[in-house]
Amino acid sequence: MVESAEGSAVMRGRERGSRSRFRHLVPMVLVAAAFVGIWEIIVRLNIWPRFLFPSPVDVAISLYDLWTRALLLRAIAATLVRLSVGFLISLVLGAILAFLMVHFQTFGKGIQPYVLGLQTFPSIAWVPLSLIWFGFSEAALLFVTIIGSLFAVTVSFADALRTVPPVYLKAARNMGSDGMDLILRVTVPAALPHLISAAKIGWSFAWRSLIGAEVIFATVGLGFLVNQGRDALNLPQVIGMMVVILIVGVLVDRGVFSRTQEWASRRRGLLPSG
Amino acid sequence: MKGATLKLVMVGKRFKGKAGPTEALRDINLEISEGEFVTIVGPSGCGKSTLLNIVAGLEEPTTGWVAMNGHRVHGPGADRIVVFQDGAVFPWLDVWGNIQFGLRVAGVPRREREARVKEYIRMVQLEKFAHARIHELSGGMRQRVALARALVLRPSVLLMDEPFAALDVHTREEMQSVVQDLWLRSKTTTLFVTHDVREAAVLGGRIVVLSHRPGTVSAVLTNNAPRPRTLEDPEVVEQIRRSNEILKAEVQWSNQPKVPL
Repeated sequence: MVESAEGSAVMRGRERGSRSRFRHLVPMVLVAAAFVGIWEIIVRLNIWPRFLFPSPVDVAISLYDLWTRALLLRAIAATLVRLSVGFLISLVLGAILAFLMVHFQTFGKGIQPYVLGLQTFPSIAWVPLSLIWFGFSEAALLFVTIIGSLFAVTVSFADALRTVPPVYLKAARNMGSDGMDLILRVTVPAALPHLISAAKIGWSFAWRSLIGAEVIFATVGLGFLVNQGRDALNLPQVIGMMVVILIVGVLVDRGVFSRTQEWASRRRGLLPSG
Repeated sequence: MKGATLKLVMVGKRFKGKAGPTEALRDINLEISEGEFVTIVGPSGCGKSTLLNIVAGLEEPTTGWVAMNGHRVHGPGADRIVVFQDGAVFPWLDVWGNIQFGLRVAGVPRREREARVKEYIRMVQLEKFAHARIHELSGGMRQRVALARALVLRPSVLLMDEPFAALDVHTREEMQSVVQDLWLRSKTTTLFVTHDVREAAVLGGRIVVLSHRPGTVSAVLTNNAPRPRTLEDPEVVEQIRRSNEILKAEVQWSNQPKVPL
C-alpha cells in the first residue's frame, strides 16, 4: 500500500517535472523571438547598408554555410578542448593555492591582496606576454586561459574552504582523521556545494579569457571565426559566431555547472528535493 | 568494552583574548574511576566545554595535565570520543556513512565494520533510517547518530558536550534515557557536560559543580539513586535541589562587585 502510494507520487512528480521543464523555457523563447523580430524590423527600415547591418536570415545562412563546411563543429571542438584542458589545469593549481592560503594563514594573508588584484586583471592584457613567451601556439592560448581564470578560481576556492564549520574538522580529528585523510574525507565534501559554485565562477573567467585570446591570435576556434568574419567584412559571420559563443556558453553553464550545483545542494538538503 | 580511569591534575586554561588574557579554568582536580558516569554542571561561561576539549586532547591545558589509565594524554585520540552540542554529524554522508566514519579512518575491515555499524544503528533505534540523509532527520535523531558514531568506536572514555541542549524538552528527556540505557549496557567511563541541573542529576553518578569563571570545582555530589532513573525519583529531585543551591550561591557570588582583598 505505502509503496504503491509512494510510487504514484513519484510518477506524478516526474510528469510535473517534464511539463515544468518546458514551461520555464517559454519566457526565454519569447524573448529570443521578440529580439529577432525587432532586429528584422530595424533591418527593413533600411537605415544602414545591409553589409553593415545584416538581417537574422543572413546570419542564419552564414552559420548554415559554416556548418555544412564542417568549420563550425571543428571550431566548437577546438575551443572546448582548449577550455577543458586550460580550465582543468587552472582548477588543480587553484585548488593547491587555495588550500595553502587557508592552511598557512600567514602565507594566505601575504598572498591574498595579490591574488585579489590579479583576479581583476584583464586577461587580454596577458596576451602580449603570452605571445612573446609561447609564440602563436596552443600553449599561448592555454596560458591565457589558465592565467585568466587561476586567480578567480583560487579566491573562490579559498572562500569555499573557509565555509567548512570548524566543528566538523574537530569531530573528524577526534575520530582519528588527519592530514590528507581529513582533507579528502571532510574538508572537500563539507565544502562541495561551495566548491562547485567556485568552479562555476572560474569557468566563466576561463571562457572569457580563451575566447578573447582566440579573437586576437588563434587559427582555429570560435574566437578565430569571429575575427575571420571581420577580416572578410563578413558581418553575418561575425554576428553569427557571437551568437554561437553565447549559446555554447549558456549550454556549458546550464548543462554542466548549474546541474552539478543543484545535485550537490539537493544531496545536502539545501534545496527542496523532488 | 572496558572503560578507563581518568585523572585531571591541576588543570588550568588561559586564553589570550582581544581584551587581554582570560582565565577559563583554574586548578581542576578530578579522579574518575573505570565505568563511572560523571556530570559536570555549571553556569554558562564557566569553561566546562573547554575542560571537555582538554580531556579530548583538542585543546592543550595551560597548566596541569590529564592522565588516562595512568598515562598522560597528548592530542586527540579515538579512545576519547566527543559528542558535540550540535552533534557535528556530517551532512554529506547518510546515517550509515556517519556511523562508520571512524571505523573507516581506523581501517577496520569491511565485514567487521558492517557488523558493528549494524549493531549500533540498532542500539540507537535508527534501523529504518540507515540510509536517510542527515537533513531528513529530527534533532533528536541526529544526536542518536552522533551517539552511535561515538560508541561504535568503543572508546575508553565518552565525552559529551551539552549534547541535548538544542533539543526540545521531550526529546531531551527521551535522549537522557537513551544515554542512560546505553551506559548501563556498556559501562563506558563517561564525562557529561551540561548547564541543566536536572540533566546532571538524572544522569550523573557524581555531579561536579563548577564555579563561574574562572571555573573551579565548587562541589562534588555523590548521587546513588538507583538506575534507571527518571526526573521524578525523589532522590533525583533532592540532588537537583542541592545542586541548584550550590549553583545559585555561585551565581550570586559571581554577580557581586569584587572588592580587591
